[in-house]
Amino acid sequence: MISWAVFWLCAFCPAKASAFQVPDDGFFPGWTKDGRSRAFQKMDLFNHINGGAELYLEFGFENLTVQRYAKAGAELILEIYEMENPAAALGLYLMQSGRETPWPEFAERNSSEPEQAVFVKGRWIVQVNNLSGEIRSVPAMKALAGRVLAAIREEPAVTLLNRVPAEGKIPGSERLIRGPLALQQFFTFGEGDILRLGGRVFGMLADYEGASGSAFTRLIIPYEDGPAAASALSYLRDHLDPYLKIIQSGPDGFTFEDFARRRGRVGLAKNVLDIRFKMAAAE
Amino acid sequence: MRKTYASMPDENSIGRRDFIKLGGAAGAGFWLGNRALCAQEGSGKPGGKPQAPPPRPKTNIEDALKVPRTRLSLPGLFPGRVVEVNDPSSMNEVKPDAEAVRGMLRKGLSGLTGADFKKAFALFFGKNDIVGIKVNPVGAGIISTHLEVVDAVVDWLTESGLPRGNIIVWDRFDYMLKDAGFTAERFPGIAIEGLQTMDEAAAEGKSGDNSRWLRPDGVHVSAGNFDPDVFYWADVEGPKDLPYLNQHVFNGKFSYFGKLVTGKLTKIINIPVFKNTGNAISMATKNIGYGAVCNTNRLHRPLFLDVCAEVPAFPAVRDKLVLNITDGLRGQYEGGPGPAAKFTYLYRTLFFATDPFALDMVCHKIITAKRKEMGIAVNEHPRFTEYLRYAARLGIGVTDEGGMTHIRI
Repeated sequence: MISWAVFWLCAFCPAKASAFQVPDDGFFPGWTKDGRSRAFQKMDLFNHINGGAELYLEFGFENLTVQRYAKAGAELILEIYEMENPAAALGLYLMQSGRETPWPEFAERNSSEPEQAVFVKGRWIVQVNNLSGEIRSVPAMKALAGRVLAAIREEPAVTLLNRVPAEGKIPGSERLIRGPLALQQFFTFGEGDILRLGGRVFGMLADYEGASGSAFTRLIIPYEDGPAAASALSYLRDHLDPYLKIIQSGPDGFTFEDFARRRGRVGLAKNVLDIRFKMAAAE
Repeated sequence: MRKTYASMPDENSIGRRDFIKLGGAAGAGFWLGNRALCAQEGSGKPGGKPQAPPPRPKTNIEDALKVPRTRLSLPGLFPGRVVEVNDPSSMNEVKPDAEAVRGMLRKGLSGLTGADFKKAFALFFGKNDIVGIKVNPVGAGIISTHLEVVDAVVDWLTESGLPRGNIIVWDRFDYMLKDAGFTAERFPGIAIEGLQTMDEAAAEGKSGDNSRWLRPDGVHVSAGNFDPDVFYWADVEGPKDLPYLNQHVFNGKFSYFGKLVTGKLTKIINIPVFKNTGNAISMATKNIGYGAVCNTNRLHRPLFLDVCAEVPAFPAVRDKLVLNITDGLRGQYEGGPGPAAKFTYLYRTLFFATDPFALDMVCHKIITAKRKEMGIAVNEHPRFTEYLRYAARLGIGVTDEGGMTHIRI
C-alpha cells in the first residue's frame, strides 16, 4: 500500500524549477514555446534519457532543462545540460560528437547538422534537436542556440587535453574519460572502475601514428599524487581483463598483448599513468 | 518464479525521441559494458576498495532449453549461411527502387535456399500460416525498415499463395509503426499490429493525463496483449514508477511475450536495419530479442546482449522465426541504436539468413570495418560478440568461422 502511495505521489509531483531561463516566444519569427519547460537534476536524468544517462552522470551531470518550441507543425527541442565543470562538459561533448561538423558562424565549439546541433560553452552543453530534419527550421535552430549561448558566461578554457603529447597525434582524436563507461568505448582493460578514476580523475587520450604506420592510442591519467597512481597501477595489473596477457612486468609498469595480438604498455611516472594500447607488435 | 517457459526482444526501451539526443558515441551502446560497468558506483578514491561487479542475474533460460526442437527451430534450415546482395541501383539518396529491391529479394532467397521464389516459399511456409513481419520502425525517416523491402516480401508471400489477410506487420510499439509509415492505408489487406501502446505526451511530460495508457486500477491498457504464461524471467527489476510502466507495461521480473507472438503468429520474418549500438550492433537478434517482450529496460544494464541470445531461444521465437532479412539499403555506423543522420550512409545491401546469429556475426564484422574506416574509436573486445558465441552454445546459431558461409552476390 505504501509503495503504491509513493508511486502515485512521484507520478504527479510537479516538475522542479527550471535551472535555466529558456528563451521566450518569438526568439525567431513565428516560433513559440510548446508546453512548459522541464528540469531534471542528477539521477532524475533517468526519467529523460532512458538508456544512456549513466554516461552523463559519469562525466558529472548536474541538471538539465528541456523546452519544446513549435511553429506550424515544425518542432524544436532545446536541451541545456549543466555539468559539474567545464572539463566534464567538454568530455561529454567530445564523446557525443564523433568527427565534428561545426557551424562556423558560432564561436563556441559545436558539432551541428540540420537534425541536431550541439554546443559546449563552459560547463554547459546546449543541444537543439530538429527531429524532422527540415532545413527550413535551421535558421530557428541557430537563433535559439544563439540566444542561449549569449546568456552563458565565459569560463576559463579547459587545458586538460594539453597533457597529451602533440607529436604524432591524429587531429580530432582527443577525448576525455572520467570512468569505465567512457573508457569502454575505446578499450576494455577489465571490469568496473579498472583505472580507479573514481568519477573524479580525468584521463586524456588521443590516437597517434605509430612508427610502423599503424595508429595506436595513448591515454594519460594524472592522479592526485604518486601513491594514488601506484595504487591504480597495482589494481590494474591485478585485475587485468583475461583477454589481455602480461608479457613483461616491473615496478613501474608492464607490457601486454591483447586479443588481436596488438601490444600495450602501462607506465608509471610520479603521479601519472601513461598507457598505450592497440600498438602493432613492432612499436 | 511461477509458470513454465516462453520468450522474445526490443531496443525500444529507449524512447524514440531520446535516440537523437544519444547520437554520437554517447548512445545506448554504452550499456554494452553491462556487468563490467556496474562497479563504478562506490568505487571511491583510488586508495579505497572498488565494489566487485555484481554477478550476472539468473534467468529462466534453462526452461527454454527443455522444450523439444522442431524442424524449423533456430538456426533454421540453413545454419551459418549468410547471403549478402548488393545492388547499386537499389537506392538513391532518399528512396529505394522497388523493382531493384524485388530483384535483390529473388537473388537473396535463391542464394540462401538454392530454390526459386515459390520453392523457397514452400521451404518455410504453408498457405495457412499466419506470417508476422517484424520490422524496426525506431528511427523513422532515417534508419527504419524500408517500406519497399516489406512490399517485396509481401509480394513474394502473396504470389506464392499466402492470403494477404494472413500477413501481419508488427513491432512492439504501435505509434512507432505509424510514424515509420506502416499503416493500413499503405499496406491494404495487411494487418499492422503493435504489441503495446505508449502515451508519448505523458512520457514527455507534455500531458499530465495518464488515462490514455493507464486504467483506473493502475494496470497498463496494453497488459492484456502479453501472454502471462510465456515469459522471459530475469532476477532484476526496473524502476517502479509511472514513466517506466507507461513504456514497459509491467514492472517486476517478468518480461512477457506478446500474445501475437505466442498465439496468433505461426511464422516470423525478421527485417531489422543495419546499425550499431556502441561497439556492438542492433540488428537481427536485437530486433527480435528486445521486440517480442515487454519490461525490457531493466535488462539493459545487467544482461544487455545476452538477452539477444536468450529470448530467441524460447520456442515462441526459436520455432517460428524462419527467415531474417537485414535491411542495409542504408546503414548507420555510429550513434545507434537511435537514429543519427550524421552517421548514416548508402550501403544498398540486403542480407539473408535463417540463422540470425550467423547473420549478426557477419554484419558485426562489416560494420566494425566501416566504423574504423570512418575514424570512429572502436573497441573490438570479444565481449561485444560473446552473445553470438553464447547462442551457438545454446544450439540456436552457428557463429564459428569454420561453420559459417558468407556468400556475396
